Amino acid sequence: MAWVTWRQHRAQLLTAFAVFVTVAIAAVVSSLPVRDAYHRQALSSCLPPAARPGCDLLVNHFRSEFASLAQVGRWLILLPGLALLVGAPLLAREFEHGTFRLAWTQGLSRRRWLLSKLALLGAALVLVAALIGVVAVWWRQPFDHVEGRMSPAAFDVEGFVVPAYTVFALSIGVLAGIVFRRTLAAISVAAAAFVATRLGVEKLLRPHYLAPLHRIATGTAPSAHARDWVLDDKLVDSVGRRITSAREDLAVVHAQHAGIDAQQYLASLGWRRILTFQPASRFWTFQGIETSIFLALALVAVVAAVVLVRRRPA
Amino acid sequence: MTAVLHAEGLGKRHHRRWALRDCTLRVPEQSIIGVTGPNSAGKSTLLGLAVGLLEPDEGTLSAPPIADIGYVAQDVPLYRSFDVGEMLAFARSTNLRWDQQLALELLGSRSLETKVSALMPGERARLALALALGKRPALLLLDEPLASLDRLAGREFLQVAMDGVAQTGAAVVIATRVVTDIERVCERIALLCDGAVKLEGSVEELLARHRLLTGARRPLGRIHGVEEVVRANHSGRQLTLLVRTNGPIVDPTWSVDEIGLEDLLLAYMAPAELPTAQPQRPWRLRWHG
Repeated sequence: MAWVTWRQHRAQLLTAFAVFVTVAIAAVVSSLPVRDAYHRQALSSCLPPAARPGCDLLVNHFRSEFASLAQVGRWLILLPGLALLVGAPLLAREFEHGTFRLAWTQGLSRRRWLLSKLALLGAALVLVAALIGVVAVWWRQPFDHVEGRMSPAAFDVEGFVVPAYTVFALSIGVLAGIVFRRTLAAISVAAAAFVATRLGVEKLLRPHYLAPLHRIATGTAPSAHARDWVLDDKLVDSVGRRITSAREDLAVVHAQHAGIDAQQYLASLGWRRILTFQPASRFWTFQGIETSIFLALALVAVVAAVVLVRRRPA
Repeated sequence: MTAVLHAEGLGKRHHRRWALRDCTLRVPEQSIIGVTGPNSAGKSTLLGLAVGLLEPDEGTLSAPPIADIGYVAQDVPLYRSFDVGEMLAFARSTNLRWDQQLALELLGSRSLETKVSALMPGERARLALALALGKRPALLLLDEPLASLDRLAGREFLQVAMDGVAQTGAAVVIATRVVTDIERVCERIALLCDGAVKLEGSVEELLARHRLLTGARRPLGRIHGVEEVVRANHSGRQLTLLVRTNGPIVDPTWSVDEIGLEDLLLAYMAPAELPTAQPQRPWRLRWHG
């Protein structure tokens, strides 16, 4: 089966490898100025726990200088989704061309045929995804030192989740392929399902993998949580009611008019700032949980595909 | 003789319609049986069930495991982007038993570097046959193998197929609409109509048991030696009967003639009408035909 899988999917696998090479080259080229600036400004000596005077300025300057580049790096989240372009045609194309009648009437059982293909393609794509993940970790290193890797911008493109998303995209593509039996329909539906699942997990589940921490701070937002994933940052009054940003602005303007320090003024009103966040130290725990979720979903999709392949009349 | 394929009361629904109903058929070892019938009679369905692509809705079917069946589907599905050698490699790596020598022999002189998409219909059919027989199957199923071939290519295909069958000792089921295509090679014929086997037997036996009676028009009574009147046709003052016999017909008021296989089958397909030429449909058969 290895030869058959390679022969039928070599264009896709070579494309995947070409994507990796392109990403790697782009990462190296675009990372050079970032690293240069990072070292030139000795930023590492500026980050917690170390700090020296003027650090806030330096860090902010670094962040704003490379903000757009870091934004470009976010596009890496799309790459695991490309695996569904490998998964969807796996069965759909056999149906479109009628060749399932050839493939399924050789000596192998349909289940074995499907599982061999999936295992081989999965292994190849996991390898490519892991390589891209490593490149992403290396590329984001300077940013991660400053911003941490807990917020989605880094979390989604680093660590184990990248191969897990890839396996999920592959298997959901395969499932859509047998349900719809048309490559285009399968790709569209699988893509929609992939995006919906990724967003749903990220927005609804991930903030609650572990109970978020709260920290009460008087005055304006502290910068101590630069590396954490801040979920909520709200101002409450002395009895815990939320203060709208309009009221906060009013109060700040009022303090400025009166010539008092705004932070002190807010504190004197009994207003407190409550930060809700997931600390950076939970990175690997969260990676483990998210990876398990996507691998479990992938397993469900694979089992469903195997059942359909065996049961569904051709 | 033990049967390689044995269907008993087999039925398969396709949407609401029964594509195959109450179909009983035995294919003995090393026999060659032609399954014929009009469009959507259930021929492809029967083969699809035998090869395990379809699941029966009722009845029982005993067939060899898939590794022991060589199947050439209708329209000869092959991977168009592969070349001939790659198609053989495909079969070699998806089958536990594979006879490359036999496959090459059946392919003939065709270069292995030719792309499948560049093959002529006859060459495609031959490649598909080589793939099916290279498994050294116990049972070979051919679904409308001659549909896309001209007469010469069809004749050559059957020649090669029978060569391969002789070497592997496989039993063969050929589904076809056009019985004259396969008459020469089939030992037995099964006629499938509306999903059921209407007639089954060896060609000689079928021909020997049917006679065409012609005589003056009269009310039909019992005729000695006639088991059943299959079809009656009046024209003017003449009456023509197709009958199944159970003995010699000695009644001198009838002139007794033999009937050809094609006319016989046509009569069974449309018992109420004349054995006129079967309308040939130019478009492709549906898979569930």
